[in-house]
Amino acid sequence: MKGKLALAALGAGLLGLLGAGASSLWGPAPALAHKAKHSQEQLDAFQQVLMEQVRLGDLLFHGDADTEKQMNIKLSNTGMACAMCHPFASDSHPHEFPKFQEQMNAFATLRDMINWCIEKPNEGVKIDPDGPAMKALEAYIYWANRGSKLDTGRH
Amino acid sequence: MEPREVDLDPRQVAMEIDTGGRPDGSLAITRRLFINKAILAGTAAGVASVGWFPVINTLDLAFGQQAAFKFAWLSDTHLYPKDVNTRFVDKTVRAVKEIKAMSPPADFLIFGGDLAQLGDPVEIDLGADILKELTIKKHFIPGEHDWYLDMGAKWERMFGKTPWTFDHNGVRFIGLNTVGFAPDYWSAKKMSPKERMGHMATLDGSVAGPWAGVGDEQRQWLQQTVSGWAKDRPLVVFTHTPLYEYYPPWNFWTRDWREVNEILKPFSNVTNIHGHTHQVLYNELGSMRSIGMLATSWPWPYAPQGVPPLTKPMIRADPGDHFDGVGYSKLTAGAAGRIENEYVMWGRKEVFAESVVDSGTADNVNQILHPRIADRMWPY
Ligand SMILES: [Fe+2]
Ligand SMILES: [Fe+2]
Repeated sequence: MKGKLALAALGAGLLGLLGAGASSLWGPAPALAHKAKHSQEQLDAFQQVLMEQVRLGDLLFHGDADTEKQMNIKLSNTGMACAMCHPFASDSHPHEFPKFQEQMNAFATLRDMINWCIEKPNEGVKIDPDGPAMKALEAYIYWANRGSKLDTGRH
Repeated sequence: MEPREVDLDPRQVAMEIDTGGRPDGSLAITRRLFINKAILAGTAAGVASVGWFPVINTLDLAFGQQAAFKFAWLSDTHLYPKDVNTRFVDKTVRAVKEIKAMSPPADFLIFGGDLAQLGDPVEIDLGADILKELTIKKHFIPGEHDWYLDMGAKWERMFGKTPWTFDHNGVRFIGLNTVGFAPDYWSAKKMSPKERMGHMATLDGSVAGPWAGVGDEQRQWLQQTVSGWAKDRPLVVFTHTPLYEYYPPWNFWTRDWREVNEILKPFSNVTNIHGHTHQVLYNELGSMRSIGMLATSWPWPYAPQGVPPLTKPMIRADPGDHFDGVGYSKLTAGAAGRIENEYVMWGRKEVFAESVVDSGTADNVNQILHPRIADRMWPY
């Protein structure tokens, strides 16, 4: 509940800064960008959009039941959460994807890997690869690993 | 005449050990010794390749001596109520069965903490029930997951008080509680017992703080317990958390480890055996060796910093096989009172990685990590 409220409040406050053309946070983007100098408020607003996603992803990654319920997803049926094998999102190495992933015997993206972990070890229900939960999880994982050296394909 | 250390080819020694062949009695060198010397000498070979020698740094061979007795270590079973998951139950049952079948038998079991996942009485009862199968003497120290629902009340009722000590065949064994003395993070925030437990159970959380510690009172007890024990006689200290500083953000340490080390320093043969880190670890501080045990539940990844250079990393576990990267330990106290450790890792013959790419620390190479944020925001 609190996640939704926060999101709504944030959305209302940010609309002006993010561009008048936006019908919602994830609606059609403004047609024009970079035509005027960025203000600090704008940059802060962009950062806030990111951090709200990071916060949501952090909660999902750590098995927060309320957030899962709000988003109508079931990431695990074992009581295990992502962070139990990946504290600080370690060993999730977003900086190494895409790559050949042995478990799937396929060339895989980070999103593929997230869904593999949800479905196999966690015995949960796979999430929409382009949906809000995936975006939030991805945001948290990238954010927690920021500064890592891009090393595509490393095994 | 005994060969001098410098005359030995480390690869050859390692090969003999690796293939299961015991070097003969004249080979009066342990791997550990060699590595120490190599590091001290600062030789390029020693420093560059120490992590990748097929070392047996988890055990000292008491060459030519009969094993005096065996004991077993089991920890970090992290049991959930059976209706949540039976995976961890299965693995605990398997470990108990295998320890029961040890030949020669184990004289006793050390249970090293984190029996339960959320300190739930149902979980603790379930664990006690499974362990009942083992009729050898059992000694318990708690983990943080066992403690913070009711501040150890149920645990102590079931398994007794800590610290404790007993002597067995010339070895003094000591069990400490390193989990029960967290600075109070719950009262000011008016947390329910469940909330308190939830934060404690989140390894990478920001709320529970530096909870791992021995504390003044227990250190005094330790001082008294070792006074009068001859300085060259073997001491084995069991703790849930490692008795050195590995990675404080995950409480992969004991915050007053320096003071504890001061107390143990006069003794020439000290072995610390710990759980909590769920991974192969080996370290030395002065005359104290510290050996990290496997969990039966799941392996934690190696921390991004602080893995002791003397640790030969374990293999990178297969996340699709929940019997991989986990297990328990069979330990032997040799006639000279040296503790040998044998990891029993299910699903693997090779516990140690033979190359960087197969190692559990390989991911650390290009990885930079940042602590979580959601638990530092309202309403926490
Ligand atoms: Fe544990
Ligand atoms: Fe623990």
